[in-house]
Formats: sequence, structure tokens, C-alpha cells
Amino acid sequence: MIIQIILLSGLVLFSILAILLKDLLKSALSLAVASLFLGIIFFRLGAPYAGVFEISVVAGLITVLFALTVALTRKDSEVQEARLTRLVFPLFFVIFLIIDGLVMKSLLQQVPALPTGPETGSFGEVLWKARTFDLVAQLGVILAGVLAVLALFRKKEEDKDE
Amino acid sequence: MSNLWFLYLFFSALLIFTGIYCLLTMRNLIKLFIAVEVISKGVSLVIIATGAVKNSILLAQSLAITYIVVEVSLVATALALIINIYKKNKSLDVRSLSKLKG
Repeated sequence: MIIQIILLSGLVLFSILAILLKDLLKSALSLAVASLFLGIIFFRLGAPYAGVFEISVVAGLITVLFALTVALTRKDSEVQEARLTRLVFPLFFVIFLIIDGLVMKSLLQQVPALPTGPETGSFGEVLWKARTFDLVAQLGVILAGVLAVLALFRKKEEDKDE
Repeated sequence: MSNLWFLYLFFSALLIFTGIYCLLTMRNLIKLFIAVEVISKGVSLVIIATGAVKNSILLAQSLAITYIVVEVSLVATALALIINIYKKNKSLDVRSLSKLKG
């Protein structure tokens, strides 16, 4: 229980750092560390495949994409944030923390129990047989993402030609 | 087991709150997208924790993997959009988007 609390606290702490740090590169790195914590939590919850995906894809690939974007947009990209934003955050956070602690337990008791028994078979069987439709949708999403990125950058090249 | 579920949902609510606060108050486009990422971390934590507590971890894992794939596709597209917006406006300020015409 203590290790779980430490891991979850680390996850929340680094997520807050990712949002409050002024340097965007440091924010992206904090987000990667938060993903690492989340991946370890997934491993501890008995979800090793999701943990591997979280660490390799989210902590790895997405951090690289963020770092690349920060590098490409670095010059003159200082955005003046409202001063109160960072100052007021701890206050709102503590208020939400208290409300969360008070309300969440009673909310959980109202969630009806699902009429399912323990799962049988392996992860591969569930992923490839039970969730086949999800996999088709994933292929569609990946294709849509690739085409969108290609379309966005092709438009820029046409602008250059003009 | 209920206490464990409470613990995970408590922390994931904190993550989602942090992300929503950033979305509502910050102006930097990249920061806003980092906030979306933080929210998505909270949601994937809810999926896996609920699956672990309700003895449906295999189904939860497959849903989480689907979610991560969607997330990566979203990030790639959105960051390409952000780079294009920056090249056009020379700014990452979300308020500069209000100057767009039609």
C-alpha cells in the first residue's frame, strides 16, 4: 500500500510539475517521468502489456514528439501566462483534494457491481478475439493520424512553391 | 479491495482536475496539449485500476492499449497543427487564434 501511494504521489507530482514549469522542454520531460510512474503502476496492477505500451509509446515516442515541437517553435514563442494562474493553483488543488476525499468514497458505493465472473484465457485471446472490432478501429485511427500529418505538411510545401 | 479502488480513483481525479485547471487557465498551445496528456493519464489509470479491482484486467488492458494508440495519433496530428499555427502566426499564444478570419 505504501509503495502504491508513493508511486501515485510521484505520478501526480510530476504531472503538476509538467503543467507549472515555465520551460516547455522541462515540462515535456516531467510528463515523461509521470508516464514512467504510470507504467510502473500498470505493472504492479497486473497489466504488463499496458505498462510496456505506456513506457515505450507515451514516455518515449510522445516525449520525442513534444521535444521536437518545442525545438521547432522555440524562437519568439514566449507566451505571457496570467500571473495568478500559478499562484492560485495550490489553493484550488487543496480545495479539490478535500472535496475529492470526502465525496469519492460515497460515489464509489453507488456504482453498481457488474455481473461478470473472473476472466478466462490469455491476454492474446481477449485482444485478438473479443476485441477484434477495436483493432480495426485502431487501424483506422492510425491511418487517419498519418494522413492528417501528411496533409498538414503538404499544404505548407504548396505555400512555399507559390 | 474497495480501499484500493478508492485510492486509485482519488489520485486519478487529482490528475484530471490538474489537467482541466491548466486547460482553463493557460495560454500556451503546447502547455494546453500537455494538459490533455495529463487528463488522458488520469483516464487510463481509471481504466486499469477498475479492471484490476473488478477482475477484468485483460479486457481493461486491451482497452488501455486502444486508448494509448488513439492518444498517439491525436498527439501527432495536434503537434503538426501547432507547428503550422506557429509558422503562420509566429506565436504559440492561444489568443492569437482569435485573429483567424473565416
